Amino acid sequence: MENYYDLLMQDIRFEEGLNACMNCGVCTAICPAAEFYNYDPRKIVDIVQTKNNDQILDLLKSEEIWYCGECMSCKTRCPRGNAPGLIIMALRSLSQDLGYFVESEKGRQQLAIKRTVGEWILKYGYCLYLEGVGTSLHPEQGPVWDWVQDNWKQVFKRLGANYQGDGPGILRRIPQEAMDEIREIFEVTGGMSRFQKIEEFSKKKAEELNMKLDDGIDNEYFRHIYKADNKTHTRS
Amino acid sequence: MSKHVVVIGAGVAGMEAAGRLAKSGYDVTLLEKESTAGGHINDWYKLFPDRRNSSEVKEYLEDLASSEKIKILTGTTIEKFNMKGSSYLLMTSSGENLHADAVIVATGFDLFKSSRKEEYGYGIYDNVITSADLEAMFRKGRIIIKNGSAPKTIGIVHCVGSRDEKVGNLYCSKLCCVTAVKQAIEIREQLPESNVFCFYMDMRMGGAHYEELYREAQEKWGVNFIRGKVSEASENIDGKLIVKVEDTLAGRPLKIEIDMLVLMAGMEISEGGRRLAEITGLNTGENRFFASTDHHFGSNISNLEGVFYAGTCTAPMNVTETISHARAAVMEVQDYLKKDIV
Amino acid sequence: MNIEGKKVIWKDYQKEIADDKFYYVRSCVRQNFFPGSETAFLKIMRDVLGKDVYEHPCHTTCTGIGYHSDIVPVETTMTVVARQFALMNEVGYENLLPSCITSFGLYTEILDTWHHFPAVEEKIRIQLKKATGREFTIPKNLAHASDVIYKFRKDIALKAKYKLINKNTGEPLKVVDHIGCHYSKMFPSKGVGGAEYPYVLTGMIEEWGGKIIDYPERRHCCGFGFRQYLVQANRGFSIACSKEKFESMQPYKPDMIITNCPGCPMFLDRWQYVINEMEGKRYGKNGEGIPVFTFEEVAGLVLGYDPWDLGLQMHQTDCEPVLEKMGIEYSHEDKFQLTADNKSELLRSFING
Repeated sequence: MENYYDLLMQDIRFEEGLNACMNCGVCTAICPAAEFYNYDPRKIVDIVQTKNNDQILDLLKSEEIWYCGECMSCKTRCPRGNAPGLIIMALRSLSQDLGYFVESEKGRQQLAIKRTVGEWILKYGYCLYLEGVGTSLHPEQGPVWDWVQDNWKQVFKRLGANYQGDGPGILRRIPQEAMDEIREIFEVTGGMSRFQKIEEFSKKKAEELNMKLDDGIDNEYFRHIYKADNKTHTRS
Repeated sequence: MSKHVVVIGAGVAGMEAAGRLAKSGYDVTLLEKESTAGGHINDWYKLFPDRRNSSEVKEYLEDLASSEKIKILTGTTIEKFNMKGSSYLLMTSSGENLHADAVIVATGFDLFKSSRKEEYGYGIYDNVITSADLEAMFRKGRIIIKNGSAPKTIGIVHCVGSRDEKVGNLYCSKLCCVTAVKQAIEIREQLPESNVFCFYMDMRMGGAHYEELYREAQEKWGVNFIRGKVSEASENIDGKLIVKVEDTLAGRPLKIEIDMLVLMAGMEISEGGRRLAEITGLNTGENRFFASTDHHFGSNISNLEGVFYAGTCTAPMNVTETISHARAAVMEVQDYLKKDIV
Repeated sequence: MNIEGKKVIWKDYQKEIADDKFYYVRSCVRQNFFPGSETAFLKIMRDVLGKDVYEHPCHTTCTGIGYHSDIVPVETTMTVVARQFALMNEVGYENLLPSCITSFGLYTEILDTWHHFPAVEEKIRIQLKKATGREFTIPKNLAHASDVIYKFRKDIALKAKYKLINKNTGEPLKVVDHIGCHYSKMFPSKGVGGAEYPYVLTGMIEEWGGKIIDYPERRHCCGFGFRQYLVQANRGFSIACSKEKFESMQPYKPDMIITNCPGCPMFLDRWQYVINEMEGKRYGKNGEGIPVFTFEEVAGLVLGYDPWDLGLQMHQTDCEPVLEKMGIEYSHEDKFQLTADNKSELLRSFING
């Protein structure tokens, strides 16, 4: 079995984020996720610093590591200079690279993010590319968003955008050479590999769960991971 | 002719050292930068562990330091410090030149400036006070919040300015836990209707009778101990403080509404000590206190020959330890000055 | 509350903010939700303050949202950021000016990591060269767009047409300042005023006539949480965070909220709508809501720009209550006008000065 602590140490964020925890609890005290979820960042750091391989493996498969909102409020306060938020990021990265993320309901959601944000980055050069992403996927955006979606190009022109245009400006078309460089960066640095792993492990899980997983977002598995809530996550 | 020793600082360590030096036959000049002698003993109400009056200790020290062989100069600092042959030449802030055959540095400590722990709001929110502020309230006989009423719920925060990378003090100030327990009992005694919470990381009860005091606080006085470092304090529209802390033993984050928050401020090398280190070339350690040459058998010995340390200028200490340390410094001076006698 | 205590802290946390010759990198969230804000920002910088602000057409996202939802590995993000630096070097600029707070936090974090771990910086140099042939140097100055507006807040005040004052009562408007978590929580010394009592927005509000409110949950995250919003099943977390803030600020009767992060105003705006839909609960006076603004929008209003040129019509929580209070002249009919011919004229003149 792999030594998960050693693997975590290869992530620079882990090395920066963990300087021996004395369990004072300031992180959990201020953590928004700890308020609402069954989550305690102090416990996670405490487990990780024991270097216990079995317990770290459990974490990689758990729901716990997916509750953090990466606000970094913990980093501001820790008297040992730790950053539970950075440790969480290292755990999440390792969980995806080893495929354990599909063992938890929250972890499985990574495919949804990869197929939206991830694809937008590679295709357009933006993390968000929202023409067509309306209130059916995001009802909380409200009636004003329906109006924006219905009149997208005109609204953006009205407000000074250069939508899909050449040259600088809001939501411009980023030149193909630039997009090729981004793609190449993803290839060289392991970004594409990460995306592929998210896809492969998710496909296997979909088969296991007997759910259909095609490309894109309009399929059974995607809809399932996007909405499923087994109601065990929040504090009563 | 008597040898002349200069003692810098007339707090507990300085007064004890000066008194013992005088009894041993030395002439002593005792320098104090404030307008009165006594140092922090002037500020305390009752001392742990047995809660005896601090005035009794102060009287003992004043009596000891009242010898004819001791000249006390208050409102005086050292401006220049040079070695001359085998003795030291000190120039005071009033222009006086002192020849010292030996020097004892007893410049003591300052409390950590709690406003530096910004998230607790000291100096911003009205009802956030320090342990020193609370002692002053005890001396006046009234514990009140800004609106003049007595607080019902009081929170005590351990480790303010200690064990904390964020404020640059990695060390433990040793005495804050027992101070917190003492003050919790004193609050409960004066305000029987009150509810007192101590928010701690560890209970450092390492002195004689400290642990018993902790138990008394729980059993007799009903003080609540919650294991968690306070993360932040904020003020709501009614002037009450909202404290965020995790009860780490229960594994739950808490938001507690309290009337008054008492910060257990840690100890740092005093401002006077810092300045003295600069003009003398005396070494300070990583924790910025004066660095003695050996932890075990040289804790009074500095890097300058003939200059010795007494008391909290080297490390956090209680009154008992300070007095012992000062007596040991006098012994080092005696050994040092006897060397000239064949 | 003793404001003097805060002033001492504000004095301690000063920050180097460049004076001119800025290299602007855009925000993914702002471009999609607050395009008027970025347009207004450039107009203020160039036309009002006379600054040189350059935007490279080939710059991309920093991948911050992907990084913080953990789909993008740290080395990928670092190399994309290195490319951003390389493009800036290419056109001879040294002062990096991100529009997004997550970007700002990310650039600060990466520069700090490289400073402490030079081997990592070296590795990224090699990877960037291999992938793109590019080389880079570290920016001389890094300041967020709100830092720059803060720096020039007095110049803006001098040119102001309106103040943040209730014209009926003569009282300063009560303003909640909401700072993006990634502005100073990671590196307090890199934020004006530090992490506990940030001054970057307070300074603007005070200069422009308003009064800042302190309330218990001031420092609480708005709840974006990256993956906690992006995936529908997690959105309860996001709305719970914002709701906690609204409940905490409501007793202080704020007139408006100002923000510097691109995501926060979107959430604080939309979640008010959702809380009303779900629970029938409304905030603000008589349930009118608490309008939420980007700092660019507030600067623009103070300078007298038309609210609909600033993009306030894209907010779900109506901004009109604040416009009324400030005595700003605006046309109700024009709110949802798109590109009628006369509107194009107005827009052209707005953009071109």
